[in-house]
Amino acid sequence: MIIVIGAGPAGLAAAEAASRNGTDVALIDSAPRKGGQYWRHQTAVKGYRSNRADTLFAKIENASSITHISEATVWSIEKDGNLFRVNYLQGGQESSLTAEKLILATGAYDRSLPFPGWDKPGSMTPGAAQSLLKGHGVLAGKKVVVAGTGPFLLPVATGLAESGAEIVGLYDANTPLRWALSPHALLLNPSKFLELIYYARLLKRFSVTPQFKRAVSSFSEGSATISRVNSKFNIVAKRDKSRLVDVVAAGWGFTPDLSLGGIVGCAQRVDVDGTTIFSVDDAQRSSVENVWIAGEATGIGGADLSLIEGEIAGLSASGQGVRPLLNFNRMRKQIFANALKRSYPIRDGWQSWSDDTTTICRCEEVKMSEIRESVTELGAEDSRTAKLFTRAGMGLCQGRICSRNVSEIVAGLTHCTVSDGERIASSNRPIASPISLGLLGDGKK
Amino acid sequence: MKNPDAIVIGAGIVGASVALSLTNAGFKVLVIDRGAVSSGTTGAGEGNILVSDKDPGPELTLALRSRDLWFEMQDDVGDTFELEAKGGVVVARNDDGPLMILASEQSNHGVTIQKLDHTSLHELEPYLDQRYQSGVFYPQDSQCQPMLAAAHVIRTVVQRGGAFISQAKVTRILVNQGAVTGIETTQGNFSAPIIVNATGTWAGELAQMAGSHLPIAPRKGFILVTEPTKKYVFHKVYDSDYVANVASSDADLQTSTVVEGTRAGTILIGASRERVGFDGSMNYEILRRLAAQATSLFPVLRDVQLLRAYRGFRPYAPDHLPVIGEDATVKGLWHSAGHEGAGIGLAPGSAALITDAILGRESFMDGSAFSPARFEKVSL
Ligand SMILES: Cc1cc2nc3c(=O)[nH]c(=O)nc-3n(C[C@H](O)[C@H](O)[C@H](O)COP(=O)(O)OP(=O)(O)OC[C@H]3O[C@@H](n4cnc5c(N)ncnc54)[C@H](O)[C@@H]3O)c2cc1C
Repeated sequence: MIIVIGAGPAGLAAAEAASRNGTDVALIDSAPRKGGQYWRHQTAVKGYRSNRADTLFAKIENASSITHISEATVWSIEKDGNLFRVNYLQGGQESSLTAEKLILATGAYDRSLPFPGWDKPGSMTPGAAQSLLKGHGVLAGKKVVVAGTGPFLLPVATGLAESGAEIVGLYDANTPLRWALSPHALLLNPSKFLELIYYARLLKRFSVTPQFKRAVSSFSEGSATISRVNSKFNIVAKRDKSRLVDVVAAGWGFTPDLSLGGIVGCAQRVDVDGTTIFSVDDAQRSSVENVWIAGEATGIGGADLSLIEGEIAGLSASGQGVRPLLNFNRMRKQIFANALKRSYPIRDGWQSWSDDTTTICRCEEVKMSEIRESVTELGAEDSRTAKLFTRAGMGLCQGRICSRNVSEIVAGLTHCTVSDGERIASSNRPIASPISLGLLGDGKK
Repeated sequence: MKNPDAIVIGAGIVGASVALSLTNAGFKVLVIDRGAVSSGTTGAGEGNILVSDKDPGPELTLALRSRDLWFEMQDDVGDTFELEAKGGVVVARNDDGPLMILASEQSNHGVTIQKLDHTSLHELEPYLDQRYQSGVFYPQDSQCQPMLAAAHVIRTVVQRGGAFISQAKVTRILVNQGAVTGIETTQGNFSAPIIVNATGTWAGELAQMAGSHLPIAPRKGFILVTEPTKKYVFHKVYDSDYVANVASSDADLQTSTVVEGTRAGTILIGASRERVGFDGSMNYEILRRLAAQATSLFPVLRDVQLLRAYRGFRPYAPDHLPVIGEDATVKGLWHSAGHEGAGIGLAPGSAALITDAILGRESFMDGSAFSPARFEKVSL
């Protein structure tokens, strides 16, 4: 049997591919429905080429060798002889499942950058705004600013607009001119033009014009300040504009969740854009025998790439051959994914948006001034020591949101770059999801 | 810094304390660490400053003095490291005989104790399982935030004319005619007539660099940290088998839980003891045992969520006593290391012993039980 963890595009594709030769698959996901973050829909999927999702959902439902274990949150994985024991929480109970092989497809979450007011109600990630809408049919607010960087802002803005929100502004801190750096990526992926046209048309219908080199630099009491930024993300003075809004949805690319692969011991590396990811081979095999990894955790690349990686992982793990065309398609999408990273970089200028009182770690309410003092007064030189001194990253989210930002702030203050070792170490979380002491103790052998 | 009077290797709590005590005695001190401040075991410690878990003997004498020196250090450096005389409560579920005998002996050696019956025990700890019949209260047991303490102490040393160089790994200890002359590091060479090896779990490696020998090895420990909760635990609470575990030489896993609440509202549950070298892997069975023990002390903790678990490597010597004093063969090389699970508590006391010995003045106790010379023929 193979356990696939994560039922987003990569995990669904992996489960479906593995089931083709009758291999038993258990597909575990914490959400009630299949689809992951991206296809978190109540009914049929709307959006560009989303009938793909419905086709895949149907295949999974029809495959008798796939068991979908929903609303199950994996908190740890142990090695038990040559089996992996996956421990998960479901309906207030702890259960476990063992298998010889694992496919990890745990996806990614939006990266947030701090600015004054980013921790106020009304400020959220585009992913959160979208999931409120897709998962619960709740519109986050009437007047919305969508900001950050990257093409993912487009489906979020159009999705919110289609549901009746007024998109007050759509701001990208980078400029599309950066695509000129990667013409080959566009030529190899002509369908991306069609996707762009699809969203451009939709935006036009809602009279939304994207603006570039702009960022939300503060938010308070229903008003967002939009600033012009230069190519380093530093605010260009005296170009600020205020906008009355209910919601600021700001997203700065994605951070994969590496907890489970980290627990199993899969080797990690740092991607070109500074994101910590897993090293995998051509067949999506990790450094640990019998563990495959697919999707965002092997490099942020979006649903298209995740689907292909998932399929390759599923085929390889179930002992089926991988057609060369699939490998070629993955390469094409990877070239595009790398061009995305080049076109939408996150520059250090964001560190200047915060003032002393800006919250950096929301869970433990650690302010910028405390992080600065941990460096200048106490000699912190990396996020680990800054964390020990300030508690940044010790709260509920375990640094998933702030630890990368803290590393970069500390590096900025000490005029260093964040080392790969530090980036990798900060993703080490032995408790992948909280578990009550009662359940934990009851599971004692 | 040109020509320091002394070099302290290691910026954990032990090194920081020695650096401060030498600085206050008039030395110009250079502190060196291969990482940042508190990047070793001090960054994984819990911050207990205990007298309750020590049997009468030299370690208890050191612990009692050291505990008072913590408060003197706070007066000197400032109230910056969350030092608090919280008090410890040691409980017995069934036979409290051994605990009561130990408490009486400790009391004869200067430990303040208060024996508790069922009523007074449950007044002190209202959420403790009613099945616990009796216990002992140790008001001297205290705690601090050790990483902040090391950082603030080193900062004070620097303010008083010392220096701290981080990210400098010591690669050689230079010895000439049986006496130290300096060190070679990844950031250059430094010379000084006095070198203090305060590298904790790595102290054996350092001794070897000087051609000497110290049998210090790692003893792994896990700590659990919960979400912030309502105040359920008011002191440091542990079951009396803990004392037996601390003193044990058994290589196998031992868990006996110390439960306490922190200022941040989280509950800390520690700690296991295991001799498995520097194997950093997580062992969920240990976490389960710690959780089971904590919830049997405090059933109310069953619904509290565990957020994190971390581990560290305690530095221990074969006889479970710290190594404090001048090297047996190399003159000018001093050791303060191997404090095992009590390095936070024992740090300022150890520093005072070393400073007194360097100055040749009388100290608060006879430190010969901690002498590095005791290992000349022992190895692990
Ligand atoms: C889980 C756990 C819980 C604990 N709880 C408590 C407690 O509650 N109370 C208590 O008193 N104690 C506790 N301890 C024990 C305590 O943490 C240690 O005894 C203490 O931190 C040791 O301090 P140290 O300064 O000797 O070592 P460290 O903090 O390890 O400092 C040694 C320093 O030496 C540096 N170093 C090593 N090699 C070199 C080199 N070649 N060149 C330069 N620098 C070098 C290291 O980088 C390190 O910073 C606990 C330990 C663990 C693991």
